[in-house]
Amino acid sequence: MTTNMLLVFLAGFSATLTNISDALFQLCNSIAGRSQLLDTLIALPMTNQLVKAAVIGGCFFAAWHGTQDEAITHRRRRILLITLIACVFVIATTKTLSKTVFLPRPFIQSQKAFHLEGEQLVESKRLAYRVPLDKDSQTDYQKLRDGDILPNDLGSFPSDHAGFYVTLAVGIWLASRWIGTLALAWTFLAILGSRVITGQHSPLDILAGAGIGIVILLLCQVVIGTGFRRWLEPLVHWTMRHTALSSALLFVALFEAANTLQNLRELLKTGATIAKHLIRG
Amino acid sequence: MKRATHNLKRWIATLASSLFVLGLSACGIDQKGMVLLKDESYHARIFSTNKDGIGAPDGLWWRQGKLFIADEGGSALRVWSANGGVQTLCDAKLGVMSPEDAVMDADGNLFFSDDDAGGVWQITANGHASLLAGKDKGLLSTEAIALAPSGEILVGDGLKHQVFSVSRAGDVSVFLGSGYGIRKPESMVFDEVGNLYIADNEEQIVYRLTPEMKLQRLLEKRENFSPETLWYAHGTLFITDSSNGKLYRFTPEEGLQTIAVFGGKLATVNGLTMDEQGSIYVSVQTDLKRKIGYILKLEREPQP
Repeated sequence: MTTNMLLVFLAGFSATLTNISDALFQLCNSIAGRSQLLDTLIALPMTNQLVKAAVIGGCFFAAWHGTQDEAITHRRRRILLITLIACVFVIATTKTLSKTVFLPRPFIQSQKAFHLEGEQLVESKRLAYRVPLDKDSQTDYQKLRDGDILPNDLGSFPSDHAGFYVTLAVGIWLASRWIGTLALAWTFLAILGSRVITGQHSPLDILAGAGIGIVILLLCQVVIGTGFRRWLEPLVHWTMRHTALSSALLFVALFEAANTLQNLRELLKTGATIAKHLIRG
Repeated sequence: MKRATHNLKRWIATLASSLFVLGLSACGIDQKGMVLLKDESYHARIFSTNKDGIGAPDGLWWRQGKLFIADEGGSALRVWSANGGVQTLCDAKLGVMSPEDAVMDADGNLFFSDDDAGGVWQITANGHASLLAGKDKGLLSTEAIALAPSGEILVGDGLKHQVFSVSRAGDVSVFLGSGYGIRKPESMVFDEVGNLYIADNEEQIVYRLTPEMKLQRLLEKRENFSPETLWYAHGTLFITDSSNGKLYRFTPEEGLQTIAVFGGKLATVNGLTMDEQGSIYVSVQTDLKRKIGYILKLEREPQP
């Protein structure tokens, strides 16, 4: 009885949440499709790494080096190092979840579709969608009209970009409030806002991704910050003693982190192929 | 005191993450399976599920109110009818392992291939099932099957990269040798003028073999295209793509067009057939090993 009531409550809660998310999406998407210049600017953080990632990378560096006080620097670097570790866990979690949970991107939900509910196919609610006028969005929409849909577009929940960049931005905010506020504002307004406006993610995808990021980050700050302190402290001390070398390594780590570990994943795949080749001869 | 605070923080964080994960899994927003219709004149519905007695179906064949099902996951050949539901015509007891594709002649004799047991199998119109020609005759891993206008059964072998001709007496001869370059003849179908269409889902090519035995490459070098099953009706070639979860139609005039995209649990579309009203049936192998699958029906929307 209690379980049934809980399930009914959760189903109702889920429906309400989805309705709010859909309404918010449509509000955001209503900006699109009116001006090519505006849409091109909005879509810029989707493809341009300088606009998307470099700003967050810059904030991270600023927080890393931003004070002369040794004690504050020490505390900040501890937080930031844990943030980088948390990012790996976040991307693993969001990628796994998006492959398990099947929820297409909002621009795909604008098409006539049926979804499984138990043993029945039920016609899905169609989202009204305004196609942005920038080149990439137009190309993507034409592909959709031709039935050319990428598997990645069928699993948008949760947003891995939200998880990743919110983790970085909140980590920076924990280290330095001012720089962190700038990073958070850029993350939500530019990086994630563009994804909602162009129909790549719903607000619910973003909320879930951000939630996962924050929970994992806080968990890492507590667990690694306390349980693994004896390994962490020497590392922080080492960065203080070897500023040039640690900054170079940090640049490499941030370069990769700001690209949501894309190159690293490709590198690992290549490594696995080489290993297979060597083992099999 | 400091240690107690740390422990408290740890507990709060663990609790928060657990609640979050619980909330996600219970939210019920996971749709799990989807059919996106690019041709909006259709609507989709589930025709049959495991509850009806099917496993993970592959080849389908519709004939006069009956749907014949090559149940690859269930190692059986089954038939659905409105009155009788799903019934088994033959199964593993006969030696059937992985039925792939089926074809029926005008007299109601059914022939099917089996990529694990090999051979060409038949179920006569009176329901007697037997192996017509087996591995001993060189049919090692049979996939595509079609009925030639001459009455001979054509069957494609994925291991030998050949198409064989099998007589009603069970005699086997080579129809298209390996020199033709077809790697994996997965599905075959004839059109009304005697052209044979062959899907090679290793090289990702759809061939057309003319009655003059000229082999043409009809569809090739397409990104994200892997032909699985072919069906021909009303001047149109229909194609399923199990790797990319798609159902296409092809005509020389309009080229290749997507009818539907299948996602999630419904992504692996395999078999394909059509009834007299033009409704399309597709089989879906959600999990072949665990024998989970569906048969979906795409019907035309009623005209206003």
